[in-house]
Amino acid sequence: MSLLLALPLVVLAQQQGIAARLDGRVPATVAAVAESLGTAARARGLPIDPLIQKAIEGGAKGVPAERVSAALRLVVAQLDTAAAGLRAADVTPDTLAIAAGAFAITAGLNGGDVASIARSTSRADAALVVGLRVAGTLAALGVPPQQSADLVSATLASGRPATDLLALPGRVQAEMARGIPAAQAAAGLARAAAAAAAQGRHGPPPGRGQPPSHPTPPQHP
Amino acid sequence: MSGREFHPLVKQLLDGDITLAELPAELRAEGEEALALVGAVDRAPVSVPRVTWRVMAQLERRRQTRRMLPWLLAPALALAAALVLFLRPAAPPTNPSLVTVRFVLSAPDARAVSLAGTFNQWDSHATPLVRTGVSGVWTATVSLPPGQHQYVFVVDGVRWVPDPAAPAVDDGFGRRNSVLTL
Repeated sequence: MSLLLALPLVVLAQQQGIAARLDGRVPATVAAVAESLGTAARARGLPIDPLIQKAIEGGAKGVPAERVSAALRLVVAQLDTAAAGLRAADVTPDTLAIAAGAFAITAGLNGGDVASIARSTSRADAALVVGLRVAGTLAALGVPPQQSADLVSATLASGRPATDLLALPGRVQAEMARGIPAAQAAAGLARAAAAAAAQGRHGPPPGRGQPPSHPTPPQHP
Repeated sequence: MSGREFHPLVKQLLDGDITLAELPAELRAEGEEALALVGAVDRAPVSVPRVTWRVMAQLERRRQTRRMLPWLLAPALALAAALVLFLRPAAPPTNPSLVTVRFVLSAPDARAVSLAGTFNQWDSHATPLVRTGVSGVWTATVSLPPGQHQYVFVVDGVRWVPDPAAPAVDDGFGRRNSVLTL
């Protein structure tokens, strides 16, 4: 019973949270749209920070209210697409992963790409979040979206640490600086990651590497 | 002007982690070139050709016990002709999980430049850049949490300019936001 009584209060607090964050930053009409969209989005398990950020950005840039409202609806659609992509990969999406997926979609990936990346890792959500952000960044650099997803998937599958993922955009930029097209640069990195993943599955080639003298302790998240 | 990125071992040389003699023979020439270039940079902090906008970003990531100082002199992208990324030792961060990012914009004719983005609630007054020397280069150093950030430069309080040296995405309003993933 107390839960039932508390529920409207929680919803009210959430609405006030959105309104409070937008107070004085956006026109009232935009704030109303953000509240409405944000409340519904939160009920679906979506993060509302991207929505609030977009509203604030629109206000700061002096964008007309109608256009900001349209952008907010697009943000929610991207969040929904990202969440659906993650669920398609049997990942229970948290708000960070959804927001990261939505960014990737903003950069040009689609829900299938998000699902593909999510399927490539059995690691903790943190790696998936970083992978989605990096995939979006690669696409923003000009790497074709699916190729961005493939490169990130291959890197995740190779078991490399998140720092390697974060280094990918810089490595692509470095190749681009040498006159190599973004797609070609990404393809080369994907081949290297795939080779590393294959080596991880099958062990080092004959004559390369020695077994550890002591058992490797299990990795704890 | 074209830029380039040095081999990771050459970056270690620039960081002082290894000596020139420790470089593989095929990288010695590149190492010498890098050292010469860094020397030039030290004497003349930024030497840039005449272009309208030019942006340089510097990132410094600190790890638990070992400081990474990868030097990167990166290429020009698109209209920005020259992009130079390089890192310098910074004061120890108060929060080791933050990443120190240096934003640099060459805007010789600007009267004021600031940074607006997701990290400062798009407040165009919150993060001003400081003009360095007479070359028209503006800089700001910001500590940011790991994650994905979007930003633009605000010139003279009215012009919202994406970083031409950084990846960018549609901002939903018909313009572009620069992207920084840490």
